Amino acid sequence: MEKIIKIEHLFKSFGNVKAVNDLSFSVREGELFAFLGVNGAGKSTTISMMCGQLLQDSGKIEICGKDTCASMADIFSRIGVVFQNSVLDPFLTVRENLESRAAMYGISGRKFDSRLNELASLLSFENILGRQFGKLSGGQKRRIDIARALFHNPDILFLDEPTTGLDPQTRKILWDVVTELRRGQNMTVLLTTHYMEEAADADYVVIIDSGRVSAEGTPLELKNRYTGDFVLIYTDDENFVSSLGFPYQRLRDSFRISVPNCAEATRMIVHNQDKFVDYEITKGKMDDVFLSVTGKKLTVGDEK
Amino acid sequence: MTMLYVLIKRNCKLFFRDKGLFLSSLISPVILLLLYITFLGNVYKNSFISFLPDGIDLPEKLLDSLTASQLLSSLLSVCTVTVAFCSNSLMIQDKMTGVRRDFDVTPVKKSLFAVGYYVSTALSTLLICLAAVAVGMVYLAISGWYISIPDILLLIFDVFILTMLGTAISSLVNAFISSQGQSTAVMTIVSACYGFICGAYMPVSSFSKTLQKVLSFFPGVYGTSLLRRHSMQGAFEAMKDSGVPQQIISAIQDSVDYNIYVSDKAVPYYLMILIISGCALLIAIFYIFASIFRRKKR
Repeated sequence: MEKIIKIEHLFKSFGNVKAVNDLSFSVREGELFAFLGVNGAGKSTTISMMCGQLLQDSGKIEICGKDTCASMADIFSRIGVVFQNSVLDPFLTVRENLESRAAMYGISGRKFDSRLNELASLLSFENILGRQFGKLSGGQKRRIDIARALFHNPDILFLDEPTTGLDPQTRKILWDVVTELRRGQNMTVLLTTHYMEEAADADYVVIIDSGRVSAEGTPLELKNRYTGDFVLIYTDDENFVSSLGFPYQRLRDSFRISVPNCAEATRMIVHNQDKFVDYEITKGKMDDVFLSVTGKKLTVGDEK
Repeated sequence: MTMLYVLIKRNCKLFFRDKGLFLSSLISPVILLLLYITFLGNVYKNSFISFLPDGIDLPEKLLDSLTASQLLSSLLSVCTVTVAFCSNSLMIQDKMTGVRRDFDVTPVKKSLFAVGYYVSTALSTLLICLAAVAVGMVYLAISGWYISIPDILLLIFDVFILTMLGTAISSLVNAFISSQGQSTAVMTIVSACYGFICGAYMPVSSFSKTLQKVLSFFPGVYGTSLLRRHSMQGAFEAMKDSGVPQQIISAIQDSVDYNIYVSDKAVPYYLMILIISGCALLIAIFYIFASIFRRKKR
């Protein structure tokens, strides 16, 4: 797959604060790319630079083979952005909002009607087209924000914390749409999120901290690199669990034992077959990866 | 052009649908007129009477009309700027709510957004100022109707060019504002100061020579003068017909800034129009450049 976004040695400071500090990564075409970091890590600054809203101090950003400093006008028609907050007009109806934004990409008349019907059906908002945007629920607003970003069929979709505060049904609709677009149109999606289960479904993950890449890889690679495995045993015999010699966490009706790897888990179970009657082995979660990476920043930096 | 039309339509729709913004813009000229009548009406009227020599009695209706037309011209002079600032608050609102960020990720040129805001502000300001002209005409009809149809048309033309100037000034100032606090502060300063600077509350002729010289660089002063000419011309002619000597009429005219003097020479009518139009154009160009460069954040 071709690299559709390339970022090389990107720097951006606000006064003495280095928001982005020698950041380099790339995103492949058609990929779901998760960009993770705590608040203030530099995610939004990086996205703002990618979307042409901020100029970098130094470094290079290439989107669809074009330099953002030289050809941003060409790039705008190939990207769609869903911002953290709704940025549509509260006093206009859904239709009027989409009509005014579509016109900015030269979409009007029949072309607009056809695309509107397509997106309204895809994102299930046919019945709220005439309603004032400001009076919609959070979930409904989010669907319209996404429709606005998709109206001109962009090659790359930037989703800046798109599901924060959304109900599970709207989150599902959003992810179904994203999956469908990626399959059908090979759309590249760059996602920032605080929900680690969403990052777990990504093709590639970059974790940044203080404006630098702290870790990157596929979710599996990151889990293998930064977390061990876990054995969940359903028992109430804490003495036995404690005697195994591994750190564990007591849950409501079970214990979560942390083991270095799957081989160690197998060895432990084989040696205690009579006690391991009801159990499961799980990989570490992306939450564990994130905590591990951001908590061991210097070590990780040294290792790299 | 289609894109510009869409932007203007969007801005105008938002202005008229935001009931708070629209109604406050619409009501403010009426409130201002009521304040003028209540607090300045008698002051202006007594000032006119003081000019009249013994033996000349003017009909009450004529004196009332003279006062009303002066109040109307003051009102319009202030409104073309204050209403423009009010209408233009959409530009600031868009920055605060993040709508501008959304606009900035589209292929539309930044200058087009700037023109869109300018035209829509000018249209809504003009509409409200024309409504103020209509209210003013009713007030004149009640006080004493001496204004001619050509003067009404010229008054509307004055309102038009002054709206262009007011819109340009408000656009340039608002291009540098990005928060509600800054916007409120600017609105307060403009509302408090503009009436004095343009000679609406107090005629420029009543100020010191130095201050008159300073204010002569401000185009709003010529705007007030133009409005005075067209709103009061009929009443002055009626005074002449009533036997008031031209010398007295000229003195009254000078006292209300009917004429503006720079280096003891009266600024001709055509030059006043040129000054206002030229300044409006120049400030509008500055504003468009400011908008383009302000959006290219570092």
